[in-house]
This record gives sequence, C-alpha cells and structure tokens, in this order.
Amino acid sequence: MAKLKLAIYWAAGCGGCDVAILDTNEGLLKIAEIADIVLWPVATDHKYEEIEKMADGAIDICLINGGVRNSENEHMTKLLRAKSKIVVAMGACAHQGGIPGLANLFTKETVLNRAYRETPSTENPDGILPVQRFSAQEGELIIPEFYNTVLPTAAVVDVDYFMPGCPPAIHQVAAVVDIIAKGDLPPKGAVIGASDKTLCDECTRPKEDRKVKKFYRPHEIIFDNQKCFLDQGIICLGPATRGGCGNRCTVKSNMPCRGCYGPAPKVHDQGTKFLSALASVIDSNDPAEINSIVSQIADPVGTFYRFGLAASYLRRKRSNEKN
Amino acid sequence: MKKISIDPITRLEGHGKIEIFLNDAGDVENVYFQVPELRGFEKFCEGRPVEEIPRIVTRVCGV
Repeated sequence: MAKLKLAIYWAAGCGGCDVAILDTNEGLLKIAEIADIVLWPVATDHKYEEIEKMADGAIDICLINGGVRNSENEHMTKLLRAKSKIVVAMGACAHQGGIPGLANLFTKETVLNRAYRETPSTENPDGILPVQRFSAQEGELIIPEFYNTVLPTAAVVDVDYFMPGCPPAIHQVAAVVDIIAKGDLPPKGAVIGASDKTLCDECTRPKEDRKVKKFYRPHEIIFDNQKCFLDQGIICLGPATRGGCGNRCTVKSNMPCRGCYGPAPKVHDQGTKFLSALASVIDSNDPAEINSIVSQIADPVGTFYRFGLAASYLRRKRSNEKN
Repeated sequence: MKKISIDPITRLEGHGKIEIFLNDAGDVENVYFQVPELRGFEKFCEGRPVEEIPRIVTRVCGV
C-alpha cells in the first residue's frame, strides 16, 4: 500500500493534542510506517507555502486541533480542508471550541484590553493594541484579524470525523491510528476515539442516585474519595459527557469531570443535558428552595460549558460586533 | 528591499512568524518576530472559581 500523506495542524489550541500524538511513544513508528508527514508544526519544519502549492485532495488525512480564533486559523482550516481527502477535528478545541471558547463570554474589545492594557504585569503607557496592518520603515507587516467569536472547526469547514478530548487519551489516539492504518474508518460524521456511552456509565465510583440539598465547592466539604461526586453534591459533568477517556479525572485523579469529551452520544448541547441531569439530583419540589439550592453552584456557564461553549446553543454572550 | 518570510516558526509551542528585510546590498536591514495568536486567558479566567483555575490554565500550553 502506498504511504498516506498526513498533515497535523494546530489552530487555536495549545499543542496538547500534538503532544498526545507524541505520547503514543512507539506508536509514532507505526505512524511513520503508514504515513509521510507533510505538515506538523510542532515536530517538522514544513511551511504554509508548501501546502498552498499542493493540488486539492493531495493530503490523505488531516488532523486539525484547535478551533478558529482568528483569520489565520480560518484560512489554514479552509486551506487544509481543500487539500485533504479526510479532515478529523481532533481534541476539544476543534470539536467544541474548547477552553479558548470561554472567551465567547466576553467581546473582542474586552479581551484585547485586558491582555494588552489592564493586566498588572503589562507596561503599555500608550495603550497600544495589536493592529492587523503595520507600516514598518522597511515594509508592511500583517498579522491575522482577531475575531470576536471562537468557532469550532465544523463551523467553518465540512468535518469528516470528530475525535474528542482535552487532550484525547493516548490509548484513543493509538486506536485511531489503528483504524486509519487498516482503512477501517466508520461512516462520515462519526465520533472516533471515544465510546458510545456516557462518562457516568463507565465510572467505577459507586453511585447510589442520592438526592442533594446542597452543592459544595471543594473547600466546603471533606468528600468520600470512593463515591460518586454528584451523590455528594459535587458538580461532575459525567452524566452529560461522552465516555472513552478511561475516567482519567473521576477514577484515576479523584477529580470531578469537566466534560472535555463533549456531549454524550445523541446529545447536541452538553450544558442543557447537564441541567436536565442536575434537576433529577435536587432534593426538593419547592421552587423557592430549588432556586436557593441551584444558586449555590459557582459559575454554571463556565462549568457546564467548560469545553463546549463555542459549539453550544448559547455559543456566545450577546454582542453587536460582527464575528 | 527584499523580504524573507519564515512562516510558521516550527518545533515550538504556539504560532510565530519571522520577517527579515534585506537592503539593496543583500544585508539584513531589520527583522521582525511576530506572534499572530492570542486566546485571551487573561480575560476569560475572570469569573471562574479559583479552584477551577489550575484545570483551565493548564491549557495555556500543552507541550
């Protein structure tokens, strides 16, 4: 079999997905056996110009991690879509916007002001903000346009497969490399490198389906290290989240789930699914009491949509700015 | 004046490009290092519970 041409790209991500690929260790030998890498900024020295020159469809598989935060992310995502037969949105940012999508709770202007003018460690007496075009003495310098709204990959291009996780679990990266090697890919649009159960279904912490009258933050409770978090009034996104991560937070790290594997199977909006799960946990039928119980939850939007705000029904805080 | 662009800078975490301007003699006149990315952790960490911050800012850089 001819070797595949493989591109791995990061848009508005953190490099954690790239490192998840590197963390397959000897699995890299398998990648090298089946594929020639044509782009992988974290590890190889290919330039954008080389991709621009390729014929459409010249790349067999492209793994894109990182969502769309600026015009360069959008351009590269569209360019790689045109040049690739198969595009995989890899990791929570490409899949759902990820952590950077939390910026959709703010506007472009407030994000830029905070980062370049207001932080205590910033010294910028003239209050200069980045400009897209700058005329230097020697010539013009151009940086990408910073968008008002973070978008998941599928909002700008047609995506063939979604591979969730922040980052995708190593055993799942290896499993995806396997199905690529065997040419055994599922129907277009499928979620790969994950399970078809919820994280709760796969969690081994005993669950008694208890009802609660209070939600706790970590400093307010000494919790049982073995039992279900939600049973104890600790917010855990397990019921609304897709499984397959190996329960690395809930079981292996004794930490409640924050939903990085995205919505559970057959669920579009993770946050509303979690609200529905939460409703069945609350031990009250009195509207006033229910109100007082849910008001104990710190930062609902930033917790229920920790990784998925940009792909959710909410998408962003209202703003009059275009994109 | 001739311009050489190195785009992207590779084998590090993050996005960067370098533009090198050469004068008529072919010598380097000036070099600009540019970071064409911002995600805005400085802003969107505001409003998040303090105990959640370690699980958020670990995504500044995953390398």
